[in-house]
Formats: sequence, C-alpha cells, structure tokens
Amino acid sequence: MNLDSPEPKKGRLLLRSHTSPVQIRVMERRKPPLRIVVPGKVFRPDPLDPSHSFMFHQVEGLMVDDRTSFADLKGVLEHVLKALFGAKTKTRFRPHYFPFTEPSAEVDIACSACRGKGCSTCARKGWLEIMGCGMVHPNVFRAVGYDPRAVQGFAFGMGVERIAMLQHAITDIRLFFENDLRFLEQF
Amino acid sequence: MKVPVEWLKEYVTVRLSPKALAERLTMAGLEVVAIHDADGGPVLDLEITPNRADCLSIIGIAREVAAITGQRPKLPTAVRSSLFSVRSKRQHRTLNTEHRTEVKIRIEDRAGCSRYIGRLIDGVKIGPSPDWMQRRLLACGARPINNVVDITNYVLLESGQPLHAFDFDRLTQGTILVRRAQPKEPITTLDGTSRTLSADMLVIADAKHSVAVAGVMGGLGSEVTLTTRNVLLESALFDPTTVRRTARALGMSSESSYRFERGVDPVGVETASAHAASLIVKLAGGSLRQVLDVGARPPKRTAISLEAARASRWLGIRRSPAEIRTALARLSCHVVSRGTEDILQVSVPSFRRDLAQDVDLYEELARIGGYDRIPSSLPIGPLAGSSPQSEDTERFQQLRSLRCLCAGLGLTEAITWGLVSEADLSRCGYTAAQSVRLANPLSQDHAYLRPSLLMGLLQAVRRNHTQGESGVRLFEVGNVMPSGAREEDSRLGFVISGLWVRDWHAKDVCDFFRLKGLIEAITDRFCRSAARFVEPPGKARDTNPHPTRGATSRTPGQVRGSLCGVEAPRPWADPSQSTSVKLDGCDVGEAGRVYRAITEALDIEQDVWFAELSANALVAAASRSPIAVSAPTVFPPVKRDLSVLLDEGSPYEAVFHAICEIGGNLTSRVELIDRYAGPAIPAGKYSLTFAIEYREATRTLTASEVDALHQRIGQTLTGRFNARLR
Ligand SMILES: [Zn+2]
Repeated sequence: MNLDSPEPKKGRLLLRSHTSPVQIRVMERRKPPLRIVVPGKVFRPDPLDPSHSFMFHQVEGLMVDDRTSFADLKGVLEHVLKALFGAKTKTRFRPHYFPFTEPSAEVDIACSACRGKGCSTCARKGWLEIMGCGMVHPNVFRAVGYDPRAVQGFAFGMGVERIAMLQHAITDIRLFFENDLRFLEQF
Repeated sequence: MKVPVEWLKEYVTVRLSPKALAERLTMAGLEVVAIHDADGGPVLDLEITPNRADCLSIIGIAREVAAITGQRPKLPTAVRSSLFSVRSKRQHRTLNTEHRTEVKIRIEDRAGCSRYIGRLIDGVKIGPSPDWMQRRLLACGARPINNVVDITNYVLLESGQPLHAFDFDRLTQGTILVRRAQPKEPITTLDGTSRTLSADMLVIADAKHSVAVAGVMGGLGSEVTLTTRNVLLESALFDPTTVRRTARALGMSSESSYRFERGVDPVGVETASAHAASLIVKLAGGSLRQVLDVGARPPKRTAISLEAARASRWLGIRRSPAEIRTALARLSCHVVSRGTEDILQVSVPSFRRDLAQDVDLYEELARIGGYDRIPSSLPIGPLAGSSPQSEDTERFQQLRSLRCLCAGLGLTEAITWGLVSEADLSRCGYTAAQSVRLANPLSQDHAYLRPSLLMGLLQAVRRNHTQGESGVRLFEVGNVMPSGAREEDSRLGFVISGLWVRDWHAKDVCDFFRLKGLIEAITDRFCRSAARFVEPPGKARDTNPHPTRGATSRTPGQVRGSLCGVEAPRPWADPSQSTSVKLDGCDVGEAGRVYRAITEALDIEQDVWFAELSANALVAAASRSPIAVSAPTVFPPVKRDLSVLLDEGSPYEAVFHAICEIGGNLTSRVELIDRYAGPAIPAGKYSLTFAIEYREATRTLTASEVDALHQRIGQTLTGRFNARLR
C-alpha cells in the first residue's frame, strides 16, 4: 500500500492475508494457558470468480498449555465439524505442510452430495477440504518468548464463506458480498 | 508430479490397486489429485508439499510407498550403497586417453555450486531413445528428444537429480567454469529465447561464453544434436536460493530449477551421474573416457535427540522407544539410544533435508502410523481461567450486541467490499489523493481502502432496487480508512431507502425521522445515553423539523463535519437534511440524505438516507453507562399542554431542551404532539405544541406549584426564543 514512505517496509501498510498475526500478538501479551478464537477479514490477490474472492473471512483458533496434544486437536475439530455439519459428519485428517505447525494436517469432511463416492462437488475425491491445522511449531513459541520445552498446543484456521457454502450448498462466493436481500434474509 | 505405477513397481512391490495406492499416499501426506490413464498403464498425479523435495522422483515415491506398506524399497545398487557414504576424495579418473582434449572443471563460485561432477563419454551415436523410455517420459509429461537428452530427463525423473548433457566439442577448450554472470551477459537458452543475465546469476561457461544458466536451463549453442559425437554429462549441486532468484528474475521455470529450488539430495549427485552415464553407454554407444568430481565433501551429519515421552505427550498417544525406533527405521533413519533408554539419537538420511528437529520426527511418527490411528480426545485441564476475559472478547461481544440490536430494529446486516474504486470515491465526494491506494491493485474497481461504508452500502441499495425491492434497510459494521488518516476506524453504517414498511397501502416511506429514530433507538438502548443532533457549523439553520422533499440539491463537497475529533469530510450529505450526531458531548457520527446527484448517478430513483457512527464511540459509551434502575413512583402525574408560536429560525430541538432544563426533575415526560405552519399563523412563524407531564417521586404535586412551573417555562421560552404563548 502506498503511503509514500521512502523506506521499504517501514511505515508502509499491508492488507493481511490471514489472521495469524493476531495469534502472535496475543501470545506476546499473554502467558499460557491460552484458548482463543480469532475471526477476521482477510485479503488475497485472487481475482473475483465463483470460487475466489479477494476479500473473505477467516476464523482461527489457538490453544496452548502444557499438555494439549494432537489427539486433542482431532477431538476438538471433530466436535466443531459435527456441530457445523451434523452429528453424523465423517472427518479425516490428512498430513500436510504448513510452516508454523508440526505435525500439520488438512481436515476433510465426507462429501455429502455423493456420500464419499466422488462427484463434481468434491472433484471426484469423495472428500471436501475444510480447514488447515496442526501443533504449533516450537519456533513460534520461541519467537514469542515462551519456553518451547514447557508448552505445547494446536492452531487451526478455516474460511467462513467456504464453510457456509458447503453448509448451504452455495456455489458462488460472490453472493456473500452482493448483499441481495433475497439472499441475506434467508440467514 | 506424475508417477506411472508401472515404473514405480520397478522399485517397490505394489499389491494395491491404483485407487487404493492413491488413498494410502494421500493419507500419508502425498496427495494424489488424479489418476490418469497413459500408454503403459495408470499414472498417479501427486501434489508434493514444498517440504518434501525428496518426493520429486520415482525413487522418492517408491521409498514412501515402501515405508507406509512396511517393505524395503528395491533400489538400484548404486543408490543403495551410497545412502550413507560419499567418496570424500577429489576424484579424477581418466579411463581412456586416446583423445587429446580433456575436461577441465573449475568452480569459481563455491557459494552457488558446492559440487560439480562431469562425465565425458566419447563416440556416442545420437538417435531416438528406446520405446519403453519414451513411454515413461511421455507418461510423466516430458517430450522425447533424442537418446542422450532423454536419458538425462529420465534419470532426473527417476532420482530427482537434475542432469545436463553438453556437446563436448562445442565447449571452447573443453572447459567448464562455474561462475557468476557478467553484467548484461547474453545467452540463448534451449527454448530459443535470447536472455540477458545479471551479475547475481550463476552460469556454466566454457573458456569464452556462458553455455548454461546454472540449474535452470542449458544454452542453445552447446546442446546435444544429431551430429554430436562426444558428450559431457553435468551433475551438480547448486544453491537453492541462487537458482530460485535466477529462475524468477528470468521468468522461467524448468524441471531442474523446480528441484534445485527445493533442495536435492547431496548424495544423489554422484549416483545419478553414474547411472545416466551407464545408460548412455548402453543405449547410445560410446565409452566413458573421463570422470571429474570437483567439490565432493563428506556430508555433515548431526543426530536429532528424540525423547519418547515428549513425543507421546505431543501426539497424545503412547509410543515406546522400541516402537519409535521401528517406525523411524522404516524411513531409513538410523536410530541409537544413548544413556537413558527414553532418549533416542536419530540420524536422518541425506535425502530428508526437511527433518531437522524433534518435532519433525513427531510428525513422521504420526504420519507413518497414520493420522487416522491417533485417537481423538477432548482437552482436559483448567479452562484458561487464569487469564481474565480480555478486552478483545469484551469488544467482540459488545459489537455482537450492537449487531443484534440493529437486526432487531428491522435492518439486515450487509458485508460490502473493503476496497472501492476511484469512481466510487469521487462520486461520493471523496478525493483519491486523500484516500489510501493499494500499491498493486488487482483491478481498478477495488483499488482504494474505503473511507466510509457509504460506497458499499449504496451499491447494495442499487442492487436491491434493481431487483425490484421496494424498501431497503441495511447496516454494516466494518473498518474504514478515513480520509487523510493512517489508521483504520471501526464504524456502524446504515442505509434506508424506499418503503419503510411494505404493506398494502405503501405510505410509510423512509425519511429523515426514520433515520433519526434509528440512531436514537441505538444510542438509547445500546449506550443508555441520548443522542443530540447538531447542525454542522457554517450551515444555514434548518427551521423545519419536517424536511420537505424536493429541496434543492447543493453541490457535493461543501460541508465538512468531524468524527470524534478527526476531521472527516461529509461530502455526500445534502446539508439541508443532514446533521452531526453527538453523544455525551462528543461527535460520534453523521446522518442525512445522500445528495440526489449521487443517487441519480447510480440510477437509484428513491431517496437514500445514510448514517455512519463510530463503533468505538458507541462501545465506549455503552461501557461508560451502567444500567441505572429505580422503582416507578406511585404518585400521579399532572399533565399540561404548552403551545408556542416560534420564529422559523428557532429549532425544535433547542426549544425541547429548554423545557427539560427549566422543568428539571419535575418534568417526567416532554412530548411534541403537534406542529403547525399555515394560513392561521403569521408568515415566518410556526407553532409547536408540547404535552408535559409533571411528577414528583416522593409526593403528589399541587395544582398551584405545577401552574407556577408551567408558567415559568412559558416565560423562559418567550424570553429566549422570542416565542408567543398561544
Ligand atoms: Zn462428492
């Protein structure tokens, strides 16, 4: 963003592309145990089309103490997804790579359109990717001044519009920002 | 990355169907995004995460398949023997001295290239490569060219080590020099493009010119052609950052650069070279004359300390040191326990450059066992009770109450774009110069941070009217970047237009009073404090509490108001029907009718009423004023009406507040019940009638004391506003 600062970085602003900086700021300010949820607006350099938007909303979560484990991460997110998509929702955790978590996972829910058989909604995979998560990397704890040997915990993040699209079988993300009363009044 | 199953089977036994194999790989973190059918059988299309450079090869995938299915990979002898060893001596072997010219290799820039192996093969015959090789290349998406080039591509796909073949006779003085490019040095790359290099790029040069962009692409002048007789095979270790920067600066990417950028196995440099040379000898004839290995060094190997108990606590599963040892051994890790039983020393294989800390190994344990085999549990332990509810949470809850209140008042929540166009700005009277523009906007439609919620809400009004909606009532809570500010401000905006209530007689149309009523409802209920409506400075006093429609529009851009101390233009509002909003003595926002010139430009036929309040000020006021409750008095009220004739210049609001001020605690209610201006009244005057309710909390008022007070109010109005009692 151009605020006429001759020096690179200093005094210049950046539209945030995810809400993770909030997690860091909270950790810098507070000591564990921490259980926080961070909702917020984010911006990406994606041109507008039915499945992409340069602006959308994210919800991130962070839980840090001396014992929270990967098994807890699975338990909490399975609970969240059942609350969002119904008690019978099948979930799976797939190894993935994120620089700030270890282990990292992507979470899928079974495609409700085809019950896992594979269809056009799920690109024939039978599963729909719904969020990213993992155990917070010790380097992150080190950076915020926590003792990396003494604390552990998880972080996760998901896109609000994507969840709503899957929940309500909406196929065009732009509907969320057109503010058509016939759409809005259904919520 | 494309993996023909038939090729994979050369290195590992696969009993699973392609679909089942794809499923297993996906669940091990190597996501199979598609299975294609190719000449030669099914081909898996994998998406490899940036940390797994070791999986950018058929052998790499075979190692993973072996690990997750509990087998040993069937690796070529050369690869197996070199897993944990590197010949540490500088090699220089000349195998055949029939020819005079020998290869001379010099690495001038060790930071960019730590090792360079050249193999010179004499007397090759260039022709097509065998069908089986061409099939595999095509299945992987590579175009067959000739036997020597195909072999370099084949071994790259197989091992992950990029190779390059030079026509040796086209290298001046048989020299290979690895150096930085000269400023503006020209080269024509294999794709036929002439490129200009810069001094931070690494090149391979002969005695005269650069002949390749190191790790990215070879040069056209030294490529292997049908007439090539002698081939120099390059296998090297280039610095990932240098390759990445060069490839990006030149706007090109190749299978080579893709792998170098992510980091190749330092041990694979020699094995791939040896394997490719033997394939060339076998498939293109010729004989290996010379091997030159510059820069070989024994790899630095440090062991990672892994504490079994901590791994178990991290993952939430119990794993014994013995189980951990077995699992890591499947990933070619070398594990010994030293000292205590619980702490393992783990040496990772050279190709797993991503494994650097104990947590990296925890992930491997979880992955190889399968994430699905880790049980789900819910956290136990104290809720974060040690930390009091944070300010953020408090604010979030307050804003949520505010939203609920707005929804309860009949408004629908909207979320509009945070970025607006220059046209949006200038239409609403804002200047681009005062607004914050993105350095790299994706489109001119969304190039500026919005200085107000107005632009987005106006677009929403337009859309809904276009869709036949007769009444639009929307609100939004969101951040704006006020004109000239350097920090965002949080605002509540709402917009009403068209019918207020949609019913059969359709008479109730949105107007200034609806807008004012909404603001009052919000401040009364949310902030427990009454809003004051103040005319902006410099504006002619509007004496008419019922603004008439069709008042002449003035040009936008004349009126300036202020929002909580910050100068904020209110260029969108028709000054004859707009006001500032004050709360507890502080400016908290603006309200009024949007200029018809603006709405007309957007093809909106109805009037649009807009208000924007500082969300922070509302939240602060709400926190300031706790709910104060008192029991209603049992003593009866005394009611009196008061009619006054006023000059047009005396505003209702001032009169109302004067009554409340004089009456003090005894006026429990003051209501306007009539307003009249017409034939029965002198020109330039209007009449207001108030119903005043007098009441004392602790006793019954007498008629005489009420009369005295009522009279005093009347006299005050007469004196202060030149009013006449009627
Ligand atoms: Zn499906």
